[in-house]
Amino acid sequence: MTAENISVISLRNLLLVTVPPDPDDETISALQQKILESMARHDARGLVLDISTVQTLDSFFARTVMETVQMVALMGGRTVLAGMRADVAVTATQLGLSIGATQTALDVDRAFDLLQGEIQGGRTA
Amino acid sequence: MSIALADEIRIDSESDIVVARKLVRDTATSLGFGLTDVTRIVTAASELTRNIYIYAGSGIMRCRPVASDARRGVELVFEDKGPGIADISKAMTPGYTTSRGMGMGLPGSKRLMDEMDLKSAVGQGTTVVVRKWLHK
Amino acid sequence: MKTSQKPSNRSGQNAAPGNEAASAYNRSLIEASLDAMVTIGPDGRITDVNGATESVTGRSRTELIGTDFSGYFTEPAKAAAGYQRVFRDGQVRDYPLEIRHSDGHVTSVLYNASVYKDAEGKVIGVFAAARDITERKEAEALLAKASAYTRSLIEASIDPLVTIGPDGKVTDINAATEIATGYPRSELIGTDFAGYFTDPAKARAGYQQVFRDGQVRDYPLEMRHPSGKVTSVLFNASVYKDAEGKVIGVFAAARDITERKESEARIKQQANEILELSTPVMQVWKGVVVAPLIGSLDSSRTQQFMERLLSRIVETNSPVALVDIMGVPTIDTQTAQHLIEAISAVKLLGSQVVLTGVRPAIAQTLVHLGVNLSDISTRSSLAAGLQVAFTKLELEVVKKSQPGRAETKP
Repeated sequence: MTAENISVISLRNLLLVTVPPDPDDETISALQQKILESMARHDARGLVLDISTVQTLDSFFARTVMETVQMVALMGGRTVLAGMRADVAVTATQLGLSIGATQTALDVDRAFDLLQGEIQGGRTA
Repeated sequence: MSIALADEIRIDSESDIVVARKLVRDTATSLGFGLTDVTRIVTAASELTRNIYIYAGSGIMRCRPVASDARRGVELVFEDKGPGIADISKAMTPGYTTSRGMGMGLPGSKRLMDEMDLKSAVGQGTTVVVRKWLHK
Repeated sequence: MKTSQKPSNRSGQNAAPGNEAASAYNRSLIEASLDAMVTIGPDGRITDVNGATESVTGRSRTELIGTDFSGYFTEPAKAAAGYQRVFRDGQVRDYPLEIRHSDGHVTSVLYNASVYKDAEGKVIGVFAAARDITERKEAEALLAKASAYTRSLIEASIDPLVTIGPDGKVTDINAATEIATGYPRSELIGTDFAGYFTDPAKARAGYQQVFRDGQVRDYPLEMRHPSGKVTSVLFNASVYKDAEGKVIGVFAAARDITERKESEARIKQQANEILELSTPVMQVWKGVVVAPLIGSLDSSRTQQFMERLLSRIVETNSPVALVDIMGVPTIDTQTAQHLIEAISAVKLLGSQVVLTGVRPAIAQTLVHLGVNLSDISTRSSLAAGLQVAFTKLELEVVKKSQPGRAETKP
């Protein structure tokens, strides 16, 4: 899989990125690159990372995701991880993975609600 | 323990990790493991094959069904001729890492599986054997 | 054979001249014999008989002499073959024939016979003595019947039975063993006993123990069928001995415990189902699930609970999960750790746990144990937890009679 196959959709001021089911390390690195480039191009304020099809979340993948969340934050965006599968969540917890303060949502829809609420709330505040 | 032919995969590059995950997923699923257990086994395989790639550069993974008494399960063997582990107890401590990883590989995989045997000699290599049983 | 009394034409010709007294003595011995004795000429005709022959055939000496020997048997051809063999080979031993009495009854006999010669060494006839074996045959038949009865019991046994020699080879089996192993008797006998089990080394250790200790009880093994089917059995086995008390083998009886094992597995499964029932995860409102934990929490139960809770949260798309621990009697560090793990996993999904039913004793224990629950919403009652859930879902409970006014206290 190459970076061209990764879907990045820009909606208003948010990015929706769908992570492929079983990405190799190269694809994961390409994904990070593509997200950061898209953040800059669209001047996005938030990122929804749809991981609902991801089957295996190992420590390498988790670390890359956490790095990406920090990089996106440095570029002024907030990230929400959306749609993690129940078996993946149980496994990740048992493996000892931690996503720190990164926000999560049950699905993409709720992730959008969350981000829009925060960004608008942030503007009015 | 009964002998079944093991499928063997060479780990030479990052993309071999995906191949190993696929083999382990197919084997565990066909043995009748539930979805969460399959995810646990595949995730452990991913961690341990990546250890081979990161620390030794190359090695092999073997995957086979096993049976003992009334139990059936899956056994994964990870073998490399890399630098070996100097302090195994330290390597088993969550958070300890000598690379860019999160230091979750060995202790985390042990928690995901039912059994783990680790043999290592500095300068000679490392062998990790993990097993998970059906209906514990 | 010499005859002095009323010699018939043939025997008279064959009779050698000699001492009359000695001849009479010899004759008296022959007549006294209980065995039926007869002499036969080269043409197969009877040349002389004794009294026992008269009794067994029901015919007199004069009737018998000169007639065909083979005519007094149930199988004339076999009788003829018998004396012909004596002429050819010089003798036969234990040649079985059945003599038919004139009244129809049959006597089983064994013949010992040899040729006899004249002074020049020329064979002139066959001397044959028949031993009545009717009684012996009856005894044998009785024994065979008893043995067949014992055998039928062995064959009728539902348990696979097998005898093993000191070399570990199968020496005998019953029909149940054929069924359990999937091999016919002919293929089983003479082969290695241990070869029919999933764990041959354990099977070998088993019969060796019997040879050593004299017996074993409830020795567990798994028999392997060529179809791949495995039968779990318990063996009872003991040594068996010959008439002198020397151990000649092991007699082993296997009891199929597959069904027992299956019912054990069923009970275990039921226990698991009860476990699942005891940790229900219910949707109480759109977006809210409640999981009341009752009883003590061990590692495997907490793991099952965690998997069920997470699956239900995803299925019902619920942003809030109320985990109620009112029914948990005690809590230790391990259990608290499991709970924290479950709560972290729920957070990964994008949902939130509110821990409810935290009783004073549990709160004290958690603080004393140093368990950090500061990141987790906790409430003392399920009702209070439900209020947290409604707030998070931006819902309010309103009394019908006073529309627009929220109920502040649950």
